[in-house]
Amino acid sequence: MKEEHFIIIGMGPSGTKAAITLRKQAPEARITILSKDAERAFTPHMLPDFIAGKILEKDLYPYDPSTWDDLDIHIRRCQRVTDVSPGNGHLLLDHREVLRFTGLILAVGGRPQIPEPYLPFQDLMSTLKTVKDAKQWIEKLEGVDSVLVIGGDLTSLAVAKALLHLGKKVFFLINEDAFWPLRYDMDLMRKVSERLSQGGVEVIPSGKLGGLFRNANGKTQVRIDDRTLQVGMVGTFFGLAPDIRFLARSGFSMDRGILVDEYLNTGFEGIYATGDCAQVYHPGLRDYWVSIGYENALNLGRIAALNLAGRRVQAKVSGESIFKVRGVNVNTSWWVEF
Amino acid sequence: MSRTDITVEICGMSGDGTIAAGGLLNDALAEAGFSILAFDSYPAEIRGFGRCITRSRITGTQPLALSDKTDVLISLDDKQSISRIPILRENGAVLFDNHPPAFLPEGESIAAHVGTEMQLFGVPFGDLASGASGSLRGRNLAALGAFASLFGVQAESFHQAIEKKFGPKGEAVLDANLKCFDAGFEYGLKDLDDGSDGLPKLERQAEGSEASLLSGNVAIARAALDAGISLYFGYPITPATPIMEYLAKELPKTGGKVVQMEDEISSIGAVLGSFYAGKRAMTATSGPGLALMTELITHGVMAEIPAVILDAQRGGPATGLPTKTEQSDLHAAVYGGPGDSPRIVLAPSNVLECYQFTLKSFQLAEKYQIPVILLTSFYLDNRVETLRLPSRTETDTGDWNVYPDDDSKGNYRRFEITESGISPRALPGSEGFIFTTTGLEHSERGIPEYGGDNHMRMSEKRHRKIASALPDLPPPREFLKNEKPDLGVISWGPTFGTALEAVEKAQEEGLSVAALKITSLFPYHAEAIGQFMQRCGDILIPELNFQGQLANLIGHLHRKEVIRLNQVTGSPMEVGTIFDKIRSIVD
Repeated sequence: MKEEHFIIIGMGPSGTKAAITLRKQAPEARITILSKDAERAFTPHMLPDFIAGKILEKDLYPYDPSTWDDLDIHIRRCQRVTDVSPGNGHLLLDHREVLRFTGLILAVGGRPQIPEPYLPFQDLMSTLKTVKDAKQWIEKLEGVDSVLVIGGDLTSLAVAKALLHLGKKVFFLINEDAFWPLRYDMDLMRKVSERLSQGGVEVIPSGKLGGLFRNANGKTQVRIDDRTLQVGMVGTFFGLAPDIRFLARSGFSMDRGILVDEYLNTGFEGIYATGDCAQVYHPGLRDYWVSIGYENALNLGRIAALNLAGRRVQAKVSGESIFKVRGVNVNTSWWVEF
Repeated sequence: MSRTDITVEICGMSGDGTIAAGGLLNDALAEAGFSILAFDSYPAEIRGFGRCITRSRITGTQPLALSDKTDVLISLDDKQSISRIPILRENGAVLFDNHPPAFLPEGESIAAHVGTEMQLFGVPFGDLASGASGSLRGRNLAALGAFASLFGVQAESFHQAIEKKFGPKGEAVLDANLKCFDAGFEYGLKDLDDGSDGLPKLERQAEGSEASLLSGNVAIARAALDAGISLYFGYPITPATPIMEYLAKELPKTGGKVVQMEDEISSIGAVLGSFYAGKRAMTATSGPGLALMTELITHGVMAEIPAVILDAQRGGPATGLPTKTEQSDLHAAVYGGPGDSPRIVLAPSNVLECYQFTLKSFQLAEKYQIPVILLTSFYLDNRVETLRLPSRTETDTGDWNVYPDDDSKGNYRRFEITESGISPRALPGSEGFIFTTTGLEHSERGIPEYGGDNHMRMSEKRHRKIASALPDLPPPREFLKNEKPDLGVISWGPTFGTALEAVEKAQEEGLSVAALKITSLFPYHAEAIGQFMQRCGDILIPELNFQGQLANLIGHLHRKEVIRLNQVTGSPMEVGTIFDKIRSIVD
């Protein structure tokens, strides 16, 4: 009998939840998590609280290192997948090792995206995805009294709140450009702006970033339309772009993310996608949707694992799903404009 | 001094340049001011088979022993290195070649075996070397370059080490090796920066160091040169051969000669002949060679001719384990040979003592007219340590022969029975000092004489002479924190350093433990050893032999049975092994 070997690519909230769920469903199976990153599994949504000093670094890690040994789940960090061959049931790692699988869950997450007009200035902009990023934020903030936040994704709102908690002056350039996976309509943008202003943030209405450079005294000078700001640091928050370029030759259906059915199946038997990298089909709407947020990631990871283990669980979502973050209601967007 | 304490292991297949890479690593970090204790392990075959490992402990102050765990593993061959993962620390780092020439099935890459908390750094060693020099031979240098950048070692330290090693081989070879190193270094800076944050940094030590890096074998050879030997006679055998190789280069510069003999019997014969004629000489061998030398060693005892013999112990019996370490020649060194044939046996415990005791051996051999056996082991001969050799004194290098007075001219009794047992020795050809030398029992004039009374008196004299040497021999050294420890740990050779580290760890944990180092194995300081034993509750003797040979030798001095800890795995004993034993006894 062929040994069951389930591989999960990605060690974010969705991937780790999938692995733990799989272990319960398939006690005898071999389970491997592959992660290209060096970091341990952590809770990304808590990074702003870590920056604010509300929690310690250890609080970011939901699993004790012994968890994986106890569950007999093999973690392979710093190992990048370069190709997946769904038909042959194997994948290739960047150090030229071939891994065979009987089931695969793609939970690769995303990387911070910076819109093209901002790319020339990216060296002067900080993003926030990893614990290491958060530590850099903490380090930089030590000598800084003001921060410009550009973007408007969920993380940006949480970071703005963290910065206020630290007593920093916060400027917020809300960008009306669409960014994945959120889309602002004017009404939502007004609501968010009002809420931010009430909290003490100076909101800069959508404007054109004309230039950005570091001056002699180490501050960052930002030109927005006709206005020039001088701030200690600049953060950009345009959501995460699914990190799926390595799947280009694999034969999966992909848009901005991996297209899966309502059971999170990719169309290949035994291969599922979950978390930030999945675009999930909604049979009622006949369109794809994406999810954001920690709880959603966990839920999708659980569903992918259950279905891989032979169950038939649908990823359900209401027509207009609403997430509440830091007191601000944010609509998820349907996948229409991308 | 910094509290740096990192152990780096390089593992590869024979031919991968593993040992060379380890040597460069040691040289570079010694140059950067660190203290090093390093040991290589390799197969008995010359090339093409088996696993090669170098282990280097890099610290701010001179370490006593290798550490049990590895912090960084550099894999030059994943198949070989996978077996080293269990001794890597939980959060250790692995550097490996992430672009092997062929695709690997699952499990054949070391990446499949690293633990959850370990850090993995893929570096295309082969590609980098090939790109830099056109050859894959510099993979090991590319690996060192990546290591240096990850751990913050200045490239200059490695450049110096590379120039020292490859400079004599010509500009092309040197240039290729430097390029390979630089390729790895630059790759590390550019491509590995992200994961290197949590790694310890081996930045140059501010105080610097005038110490040099010496192996046990080289320290012995340097001491032989400093002792003024005229001749070295030997037959190649692992692990003693590097002594002959070193002296073959250096001894002719002082007018001396190295002669490769047809076997070990002729080697010891020639050494005895040289000393007999008044010229210092030595030979070095290993267990099988010592066995062959046995009869002539006893000839030296009977004829009272000095000799210096190094026995670099390896796994035995017979040809045994040629490239593995052991301490199982103690019985043979002390007792080997026909008849009552007392001789002096010393066992250095570290590289500095290799130098000091070798110098001392020539003095003792001359003064007491006796073969002196130095007992080292593969682990000591082949390991390197940073140290500063003490400056030589006239006492160290001077003539220690006890010559007869002119009064005895014409009536010279070469084997005169004296209170100390030492009979003044005239060199052959000295006018008025005619004598006979023979391996037969003899009279005071050296004439063969088989009478029972004579044999009794001569045997007493020879043993008295050995006993009188005791004050000149290195005494035992105690390491204790209270006068009445629950446990005393007694050890010898390089195992002592390991034992002392275990004892210090136990003392830090509040356990009542002391250590005693014994370096004079025959004659031994029975009174001092006995006093130490009487102060301790129990006595533990860890050693690398199966029988407990030191325990057999000195165990009778304790009021109760000593506790033995014996290991014959071919590897040095680990600190943890001794520490666990201590705790099981004392706790």
